Parts: sequence; C-alpha cells; structure tokens
Amino acid sequence: MSMTLEQSEQRKAWGFVAPALAWTLAFFVVPFLFMVAMSLWSRQSGAIVRAWNLDNYLAFFEKAALFKGLVNSLEITLIVTVLSVVLAYPLAWIIAERVPKRFQRMALIMAVLPFWTSYVVRSYSWLLVLSKNGVVNQTLMTVGLVGEPLELASNRTATVIGFTHFFVMLLTLTIYANLIQLSPNYRRAAADLGANAFETFWHVIVPLTLPGIMTGAFLTFVLCIGDYVTPQILGGNNELVLPQIIMLQLGRRADFPMAAALSIILMLAVTLAYVLCARWLKIERA
Amino acid sequence: MLRNVLISTASWVYATLIFGFIFLPVAVLVLFSFQDGRLPVPPFNGFSTQWYTAVFADRKLMAALLNSFVVALFSSLIACLLGFLAAYALARHKLPGSALQRGLLIAPMTVSYLIIALGLLTVLNAFGIPLSLSTVGIGHVVINLPLCFAIIYSSMGDHHVNIERAARDLGASDIKVMVLVTAPMLMPSILAAFFLSVTFSWDEFIIAFLLSRFDVTLPVEIWSLLRSGLNPKTNAIGSLVFQVSVAVLMLLEFTLFRKTGKS
Amino acid sequence: MSVKPEGNVMTSSMKGAFARRFLASAAATSIAAGSFFPVATPAFAQEELNALVWCDHTDPALIEPFEKANDVKVNLKDYEGTGAALSILEQSQPGDWDVLVIDGVDVQRAVGLDLLAEIPADALPTADIFPEVRMEANNTKDGKTYAVTEKFGYNTISYDKTKVDPKDMQDLTMIWSDKYKGRIALYDYYLPMIGLVGLGLGKKTAELSDADMPAITEKLSAMKKVSKQVSDVVSSQTALATGEVDILVGGGEWITAALSGEKPNLDWTVPDQGAVRWAQSIGVMKASKKQDLALKFVQYIVSPEGQARLATSSCYWAMPANTKAGDHLTDAQKTALRWNDQAEYLKKTQLYPIPSAELDQKMQDAWTDMMQQ
Repeated sequence: MSMTLEQSEQRKAWGFVAPALAWTLAFFVVPFLFMVAMSLWSRQSGAIVRAWNLDNYLAFFEKAALFKGLVNSLEITLIVTVLSVVLAYPLAWIIAERVPKRFQRMALIMAVLPFWTSYVVRSYSWLLVLSKNGVVNQTLMTVGLVGEPLELASNRTATVIGFTHFFVMLLTLTIYANLIQLSPNYRRAAADLGANAFETFWHVIVPLTLPGIMTGAFLTFVLCIGDYVTPQILGGNNELVLPQIIMLQLGRRADFPMAAALSIILMLAVTLAYVLCARWLKIERA
Repeated sequence: MLRNVLISTASWVYATLIFGFIFLPVAVLVLFSFQDGRLPVPPFNGFSTQWYTAVFADRKLMAALLNSFVVALFSSLIACLLGFLAAYALARHKLPGSALQRGLLIAPMTVSYLIIALGLLTVLNAFGIPLSLSTVGIGHVVINLPLCFAIIYSSMGDHHVNIERAARDLGASDIKVMVLVTAPMLMPSILAAFFLSVTFSWDEFIIAFLLSRFDVTLPVEIWSLLRSGLNPKTNAIGSLVFQVSVAVLMLLEFTLFRKTGKS
Repeated sequence: MSVKPEGNVMTSSMKGAFARRFLASAAATSIAAGSFFPVATPAFAQEELNALVWCDHTDPALIEPFEKANDVKVNLKDYEGTGAALSILEQSQPGDWDVLVIDGVDVQRAVGLDLLAEIPADALPTADIFPEVRMEANNTKDGKTYAVTEKFGYNTISYDKTKVDPKDMQDLTMIWSDKYKGRIALYDYYLPMIGLVGLGLGKKTAELSDADMPAITEKLSAMKKVSKQVSDVVSSQTALATGEVDILVGGGEWITAALSGEKPNLDWTVPDQGAVRWAQSIGVMKASKKQDLALKFVQYIVSPEGQARLATSSCYWAMPANTKAGDHLTDAQKTALRWNDQAEYLKKTQLYPIPSAELDQKMQDAWTDMMQQ
C-alpha cells in the first residue's frame, strides 16, 4: 500500500509540474531546435534553401566584422558584469546591514523605482545626460573639473554606463536577498573565534554570499550579452555587438539562417559562462 | 565607536552616490518632460505641460500603455502560477529526473531574449500562428517562468514541510494544503517573483518587438516614436510611467505591505 | 495477492484523478493563454486593411480620413529598410498584408518575389506626378504597373550653419577630410551612403560596380575616421540638436525640417557633386484578399489631399510625388519643403544605387566592416 500511496503522490506531483514543463518544451525547447536546424540552412537569392551546411558558421569566422562583434560583446559584457558587482555589493550590504529593518524595503524599492520608466526611454535619457551639452558635461564644466566637454555619448563608455545602471539594480537585489538570509550566528561565531569585522566580512560573509553574487553576475552576463537596445541607442554604432549584427541580418537581409547561426554562437558564449559559474549556480532550497 | 561612525558616514556617502547615479537619468527625463519647446535637451526653456497633453491625446501611446499593462499582468500571473506548481511538486515530491526537470525549467534564463524571440518567431510562423499580443505574452512567460520557479523553489525550505504535514494530518487535501498553507507561507517570495516578472515584462523590448504585429506594447511604441525623431513626448510618457509606478508602489507600501510587514 | 486488484482500482482511480488534475490545470493554462488579452474588439465586424508601411503612414491625421470615408480600420505596421519588410513578409501568411510601402529602388525586388499585384494604369494619377519621380523603370515591369511613387527627398548634407562654413558643405569630399574631424555623424543606411561616397568619387550611382568597391571601401574607412558616430534618425537628430556633431552626412529636409522652428541654425544643401534621392512607392499585395479596398487606399494616398497629408505627416516631412498636392499645402509648409527649389534639386540628384544581390552583399559587408573599425 505504501508503494501505491507513493505512486499516487508522484502522479499528483507530475500533474503540478506538467504545465510548466509543457510550456517550456513547447515555447522554448522546440523553438530552439528549430533555430539550430535553420542555422544550418542558407539564404540564397531571396529564398531560404534547406540544404544542410555549415556555411553560416564558416562565414562567422571568415568575416572579421562578424567575429569582432562577438569580441566586442564579450569585452563589454565582462566590463559591465565586474563593474556592476563592484558597485552593487556595497549598496546591498549597506541596505542589509546599516539601514534599519523597517526602511530596508523602502530602500530596495527606491533602487528599483527608476526601472519602471521603460528601458528604451531610459537608454535614450542617458544619451541626453551624457551628450556634449548634457547635464554631466555641463556640471563638470561649471564646476571647472574639465575645460572641454568629455566624449561620453555615442561610444563604448556610454554603452557601459547605460548597462551598468540597469544591472546595479539587479545585483543589489540578488546580493541583498543572499545577505539577509545569513544567520547572525555566523558573525557571532566568527567574532568568538577572534575575527575582526573586516576578517569576518572577507572570510565569512563574502564566501557565503558568493552564490548570490554569481547568480546575479550570471544573470547580468546573459541579459547584457543579448541586449540590442542599449548599444544601439548609446553606442553610436562606432562598434557593433553581436545582437546588433543579428538584427542587421534580419533588418537588412531578411537572412534568418545567418541570424540563427549567430544566435547559436551567442548562446555558446553564454553556455561557456554558465559552465564557468555553474558550481555557484545551484538552486538550493533554504 | 569611531570606526562605527566612519563606516556609517562612508555608507551614507556611498549610498547617496549610487542612488544619485541610479536616479540621474530619471531626474533628467522628468525635468525635460516639462520642456517648453520641441527639444528635450539643455537648456531648459521653461515649464510646460504641453507634452503630457500630447501624450494623453496620442491614441496609439495610450493603447500601448494598456497593452503593456495587460501583457505584464497576465504573463506574470501565468509564470507565477506555473512556477509555483512546479516548485511545489519538485520540492515536496521525489520525482524521477527531478534534477533534469529543474534544469529544463531554469534553462530559458540562460538564453538571451533575442534568441528566445527568434526561435519563437520561426516556430510560430511554421505553424501559421499570427503574431499578436498573445504571442508576446507567451514569450514573456517563457522568460519569467524560470525566474518565478527559481525564486519560489529556493524559498521552499524544509522547515515548512512539518507545518504542511500537520495540515495534511488534520485532513487537508493536497490542493488545500497548497492554497491555504504553502502559498501563504511563501507569499513574500511569490510576490517578489510576481513583481519582478511584471517589471521584466513591462520593460522587455526585443521579444515584444519581434513577436507583435499591430497591437504593440509600450517599449515598442516608444521605439517607433523615437525613430521619428526627437520629441519631448518620449520624455513625457517615460516620466508618466515613472510617476504612476511611484504612486502605486507608495500606495502598496503604505496599505498592503504595512500590514503584512508588521505581522 | 488480493491486494493487487485493489491496487489496480486504486491506481486507475488515481490515474483518473491525475488526468483530471492535469487536464484542469492545462485547461486553465490554455484558457488563460487563449483569452490572454481582452483586446478591444469593435461591436460589429468592421472591414480591416493591413498595411506594411514606413513610419510616416502611421500618422492618424493621414489615416483617419480614409478610415471614416470607407468605414474600415487600417492596421499599420511600420518598418525600416527593405530587408526588414521582407523579413516580416516571410514571417507572415499569404494574404496577411494588403498594402506595401517600399523603397522605390526595391520595387523590382518585390515584383521579382511576386509580391505585388498589377495596378490598372488608369487608376493612378500618373500625369500629375513629377516626371523625375515617376520612375517607370522601377515601378513597372513589362509594361505593367506594380507600384506608384508617393513621396521623395534627399540623402545629402545637413549641418549647423553657425558652426561650419556653408561653402565647405558644397564640396562632397569634405565628408572624408580632416577639417571637421569628430564633428560629423553618418546616417546609418548603407545604400544612400555608398551612393554619396560614389558621387564624391565622381561615379554615378547607377553605374557603381564591383570594380568601384575598393575605392569606396577606402573612402568609407576615411569617413569613419573623421566621424563621431554612425547613427539612426533619432540619434542623428539628437546629435545635431545638442551640438554633439555639426554635420550629418546622409541627412536632408526629412531630418531637419521638423526642427527648423526650434533650431533655425540647422540647414541642408545639395553639394556641387550632387546627392542621392530617395523615393518611396506604394503598391497592392498580390496575395491580398481585399484588392479593391487596397487599391482604394493606394489611390487615397496618391490623391492630392492624401499627398499633402503624407508630405507633412508626423514622422517626417518630405516632398509629395503628386504636383497637385501643392494646392492643399500652406505657403509655410511649402517653404519648409522647399517646394520651389525642387527643379534644381531633382536635376542635381541621382537615385539610390540598385546593386545586384551579389554587389548588395558586398556593399553591406563594406558598411558593416566600416562600423567595426
């Protein structure tokens, strides 16, 4: 009987998990397999030819402009990820440790609030902030810190600033969530063992929040490397990242196979990042 | 003592700077939404609400605003529901291949939105399904389901199991336990998942751009507005969304959350 | 052993329960997904027309009069670049679209793909259209008309006349010289830009060939070196208006006309070597199930009233193709469009290059390479 009870429990469980699995299979796995197939086709004289070949992938390595797109993407994404972690960690720590409990949610809401302005508008707003006559340059020049306006807009700096702005919020959330879960006992134990505040922080708190950092960092990596809007609005097309090149394949050539192949390459880059952070990315239950 | 003061001061300075950075573009956005003139760039010519009037008169923008709201609400509800059910099943029951299932459910999180959008686009086309707001919603569930599942699953601690077992021993059915015991216990993370989903869906551009046709969401409408040139209307609609969400959040904070926060 | 049948009963009832639960949750999901969005539907079924257009067609001031007069709803989707339109069409079912607005130079491409329906010659006001933009070579094939020009303008030089010497703007080779280094924005569309570079090199746009690509690539790279950015419409406008740059290569009245009130210092000119002329055409989709209504829409757009509204539509202003539109435009509007200077501009400008598929690929690669430098 206990067997059957367990079986019945299992069936119920299957019923609960099935809708989510079905959704993921139908709208994620199947489309993905379609894309893989399409990336092996090619587009010739205005039609998609279903002849299996690796031409699109070869073109990626042969055409310097395409390959450079991946390099640009990786460089920008790494800079943004590191910068965002470095900026967000102290903020998350301050909110979790220095802000009184009852104001913490308020502080978090404040950190998230600007992200309700709509992403596209926000990027465009950065363009106005960073331009030659923008607020930043005007302020710097009035204060007398610089004589000439700085070249902040329409280049990589602008793209990195726009991205970092978004991801500091995201990382603050994930790191904060991790910090408040830490039991005060850890700190007490560390103090009992004679560790000072810094040692406790560096040897106890940081390692314990590593999962939060890595989860946030990985999410940053995925979202950043796949984003089209920010580099398109802020980068001034002085260099192209891979998503811009993918959109070019659609917008200028209607070349779905090439876009699919470049997407798969983009995904491989993400997979690589995943493998590197995988040990921290286990989803553990509290 | 001195060190504490130093840390406090440093903390305040740092928090102020970062919050300054976070709010800088928004402040500029709001300021120039009141620009008197066609150019939302310095210098500030004077105060005018003409662009807000223009936004309210713009039927397409208003429709897009509503569309965005509906898509965010429904896709987040579905993502949370599916995520919660799956999390419950995988955390409370031993299922064969549960690691694989978890991996599968999380997988979309590791894939860029652009790729998800392209994949869905090719499949929808292959099956002759026309693009609409619903297809945008489907895409948004795909990106939000892993998020909801992960957040809810990771908060399903084993310490909750005893309470659930007690409820079951008292004769409550599985569904009852889930609705009346598990869900309320997990409400903070379910709400967190829901609001994060709404935020992501509300702001999402590329899926909404590639998977919509005539009815579009706000980011897509703003994108076309931007393409037609500089216009403080863009600032006005961005500020408007900001101001309304501030109001809503404040309202929630002072009514709903205040109560749950104290209990 | 006697447990077994019981067990079976048990399992099958469990199976039933499971199936019910699964079905219930699946049904709930699908209902939620199906009825997803309470999209406002009109009380009675109204006829609808689906048009794939450039952004200037989405202005309600242009569309509403047609909707009211014919009691239809016009659904509009705007796109940028012919490639994007072809993508959208490829991702649609035949019959999804009724009307197509397309770059004049790409009409033959659409005809080649069998996308456009023939338009009866007597249905169009051909005689009223500026002769220079009738573009029979583009809009017709084998004596059959497939599209009609509706609007045109120029990809040339826009600049801030208080910051640069207007005389310098008359020489196209300025775009790759060091004089205005770091103060130039390049409009991000490879066809007219390569056309302009060709003109700067003394080549006619219609005659550009493979053999010209090395020289063009070299000049593109020189141009990139002295430019500040390569940008789409809004970034270009922002850059000009904020003083980020002083010159926009590839710009024209369509980018500065809207700003002329606020920024009277912005001007545009056609250099001595000439400039590139763009033209957009409109046609009926061959697979459309509403041929008559679609044709009616095309006729409305090229009618004098429709033309005047299109010329001054919210997305961008530019010259209407129909000469009679002038009767419906105010003098101020005509001045902003430089109505009276058109004869001279038309003489000095050439159409976009129309490369073969192979050359097109090379041009796109050259452009992408340039951006990545």
